Amino acid sequence: MGPSGSGKSTLLHIIAGIDRPTAGECRVQGIDVARLNESELADWRNQNVGFVFQTFNLIPVLTAFENVELPLLLTRLSRGQRRHQVETALELVGLSDRARHLPRQLSGGQEQRAAIARALVTDPAIIVADEPTGNLDSHSANDVLTVLQSLSKQAGKTVIMVTHDPKAAAFGSRTIHLEKGELLGRDET
Amino acid sequence: MTIGSFILKNALRNKRRATLSVLSVAVSLFLLVALQVTLREITLPPEDIGAALRVAVRNKISLANPLPARQLPIIERVPGVETVSPFTWFGGKYKNEENMTFAQFAMDAKKLRRIFGEAKMSEAEYRDFEETKDSCIIGKLTAQKYQLKVGDRISLESTIYPCSLAFKIAGIYSGTIDDRNMLFHQEYLDEGCGTQGSVGMWWLKVKSIGDMPKVTETINRAFANSSAEVRAESERAFQLSFISMMGNVKVFVASICSVVVFTLVLVSASTMSMAVRERLRELAILKAVGFRRRELFALILAESFGLAMAGAVLGIGGAYLLFTYGSVPKMTNGVFVVFEVTPKIMAIAGLVASVLGVIASIAPSVSVARMSVVNGLRTLD
Repeated sequence: MGPSGSGKSTLLHIIAGIDRPTAGECRVQGIDVARLNESELADWRNQNVGFVFQTFNLIPVLTAFENVELPLLLTRLSRGQRRHQVETALELVGLSDRARHLPRQLSGGQEQRAAIARALVTDPAIIVADEPTGNLDSHSANDVLTVLQSLSKQAGKTVIMVTHDPKAAAFGSRTIHLEKGELLGRDET
Repeated sequence: MTIGSFILKNALRNKRRATLSVLSVAVSLFLLVALQVTLREITLPPEDIGAALRVAVRNKISLANPLPARQLPIIERVPGVETVSPFTWFGGKYKNEENMTFAQFAMDAKKLRRIFGEAKMSEAEYRDFEETKDSCIIGKLTAQKYQLKVGDRISLESTIYPCSLAFKIAGIYSGTIDDRNMLFHQEYLDEGCGTQGSVGMWWLKVKSIGDMPKVTETINRAFANSSAEVRAESERAFQLSFISMMGNVKVFVASICSVVVFTLVLVSASTMSMAVRERLRELAILKAVGFRRRELFALILAESFGLAMAGAVLGIGGAYLLFTYGSVPKMTNGVFVVFEVTPKIMAIAGLVASVLGVIASIAPSVSVARMSVVNGLRTLD
């Protein structure tokens, strides 16, 4: 948690391997991700990190099913295996009945749940969520946060979420405060 | 979903732009094919064996200047010459047509078979033509166009000489590279229009290909410093010099082709850049979920290549169908009889489309490769 400009998103991007620190190192699962080259980093992200963004960032020409399937196109899975994993991911986020819908045919909450399904379809160890409820009404936000919480508690995923909303932060098991690029302390629940 | 269907969906996401891109490529390639075929048709060398033995002798000053008929015995005596015939442009208009729609030449009918042996007619038609002074023969295409048949009588009004001549059609020939012309007796022209003593040019046949250089040189020398100097040259050389009278057609057509291709590259590159620029964020997302630079490059390349090839299929295929199955003489107002889209021309146009697809994808691919995920997300957020 932290105010705007505190460096929350930057830290999240560095942890997720989509940005590099100007100094120091960032170890994730024992690997200094800043030292990996572009190609290694791309592979590492595909296998270890799932992304959830504030603006959902689904591909508009693909259905929810196809959006979720996207990261699996880079794997060696067969069509059947891909289908099974996508269906499982959509079921986990409660979106099986909307699988064939395009993003514009989904509500904001449903879009974000599709984005969460895309993040977890490769079964990554870490899911990073950058203000995942920033564009949602309170009801949809609750749904999304509940899904993320269950991924952490029931599926054993490490979910790192950035927010400045205390209500959203309350869903986390640990809250770390950040201000002007410095960690201030943490609360545990 | 497969990578292929993902590329297809991306390419067709803006259907109007995709359609216009494909059409612009198609129209440009159609034009390119048409220009290439035009260039080929006007520079195509005569391929029959008769053409290799034929020599055209014209006035050195210009094709429009006549030659004196007294040159005939001198040319006939040149070693290596098998036979010689006058060949005089009549420039006649048929019926009430505003322009001349087929060429007419006066010649020595008895030499026709020996010089232009590829003209196919029955023996009876040949004999009738040779023996009847006011007869003529016409090409199959002209006969079809005006629904003329053997035995019909036609009348032509010359645009060069102050006379009209009436002819009886003795035969309808085919098998030449231009089955439209009309041939008749030089003697009939001389009597009817008072052109005795001059001819348009001479066509002759040499005994062997080896005789060609010596014969042309001897004829040129024979009339040097006379009142009517000549230029004797092979049919191929004559054809090329005839084309060069229209200017440097080859360079002209090549210039237009270059402009077409260059414009095409700009249009395609611009289209692909726009298509990529408006989805930088999506490409950043693809990068975030694990797509590497080379995979993104492949996606952009495939999309660009696909659009270019779709345009190629439409443009080249359209040109092939139109020029193969359409009526070329009608479309070109009789300028071209055939307009053959050869495999080589199609391959060149296909290659242009392929290169175009690759070039158009380079700039957007480079910008995507350089873009960091974070910047990509920020750009459009």
